[in-house]
This record gives sequence, structure tokens and C-alpha cells, in this order.
Amino acid sequence: MDIEITERGNSRILHISGEIDMYSSPILRDKIMSLIKKKIPIILIDLKEVSYMDSSGIATFVEGLKSLRAYNGRMRFYNMPREIMEIFRFARLDKIFEIYKSFEDAISK
Amino acid sequence: MVNTVFLKIPSHPKFLSVVRVVTMKVCSLYSFEERLIEELKHAVDEACSNVIKYAYDSDHTKDIVIKYEFTKDRFIVVIEDKGKKSDLSMIKGRSLENVKPGGLGIHFIKKVFDIYKFDKRKRKGNRLVLIRNLESKDILEG
Repeated sequence: MDIEITERGNSRILHISGEIDMYSSPILRDKIMSLIKKKIPIILIDLKEVSYMDSSGIATFVEGLKSLRAYNGRMRFYNMPREIMEIFRFARLDKIFEIYKSFEDAISK
Repeated sequence: MVNTVFLKIPSHPKFLSVVRVVTMKVCSLYSFEERLIEELKHAVDEACSNVIKYAYDSDHTKDIVIKYEFTKDRFIVVIEDKGKKSDLSMIKGRSLENVKPGGLGIHFIKKVFDIYKFDKRKRKGNRLVLIRNLESKDILEG
């Protein structure tokens, strides 16, 4: 898994590629938590290049979302592949997370 | 007809990618439907993650043995470890409605496997048996 972080105004965008599993999710957690520590208001997650996500990856995002809510921060997903969307739906997370089709949709809300 | 494949990996999370690749490959050799392969790959990955987390308490120096068995109408995965006995209450998972970190892995396993059980005859460690009853829609024609 690789993560590239870019800036757009007061938002930070995590472009993630590869597989998010028990091995890689601690790295993802560190990246997200370092942004939360800085109280970044909006974290955008680009999942276009993510080919796999297991329950540890989901747990990482749920934990991040809960921490963000403590200061009214937002986490927004976009470019979510069909396989990952199915996992989110199955885990009832499509109702909890903000999921957008494209970067333009996610940034303009 | 019975065909069996064995895989032995160290109990380190970096080898979970090997489990996923092998699971996909053996399932595609038997012409399993694409979405079913995805779900089986995910389920076996989650089961091995549970071994590392619970049976081995994240000790990465142990072994996990995975056996894939294909019969005419069943796909059987047996996952063996030499760790502490798994406490089913620890891995029963959370309610899907109760959104919090963790507790989802077992749901992904039970979503695709019809049978999920520990073989009580195994004295030391755990032997998890996962069985998928195959239907015609699970196999691609040709």
C-alpha cells in the first residue's frame, strides 16, 4: 500500500493505492491520526487505486471518523471501487460515511 | 474426485497477501465465479488474521497451515495453528448495526461459508473448518 497526501485549501487528500490489510492498516492509521492531531477539518480519501480492503482497514476508517467527529471534522470518500463499496454496504458503513462519486463532488459539498 | 492444496505461512501479517493470491488462484483453477472468489479470498484472509490476532497474540514467529479441498459439491478450507484455544466469544463479532472499530471479520467469513466450526478433536491449537456448499451458479461454465 502507498499513500500520497496532497492539500486543497483546508482539506487534505489521501490518495491510497494497493491493498489495505492487517499488515498495511497501521501505516494508514498513523497517517490519518497525524492529520486528526492537527485538527484538519476535512480529510478526503481517494480509493481509486485500492484493490482490497479487509476489516482492519474498515476499523481504521471507523476509528478515524470517530476521532474527527470530536472536533466536527469530516471524512469523505470518493472514487470507491465496486468491490470496496460492496464491503461498506455489507458492514452498513455506507450510511455512516460520506461517499461521493468524484473528487469534484466530494470537495464541493 | 478430491483435490487438495496446502499452504504454510509464517504468522506475520505480511504473508496475508500470499494467502489471498493462493486462494484466488486455486479458486479460479476450479472456475469459481468471480464475485465468489473475491468473497472467499476476503474470508480466508480474515480467518488467518484472527489466528494471528487471537490464537498467536500477534506473535509473528509461528506457523499457519491452510488446506484447500475441492470436491464435486463442496469447497473446504481448513486453517490450523498451534496457538491458544480460540475463545468463540472473542471472535463472535459485533452487531453490524453497532458501528465501531473491529468485530467485522467474522461476518465476512460467515457471509460466504455455510459452515464455520472448530474441530474439537484437535488438542493443541485450533483447527478451523470452513465449508462452502457449491451450487451451479458458483461455477463458470466452459
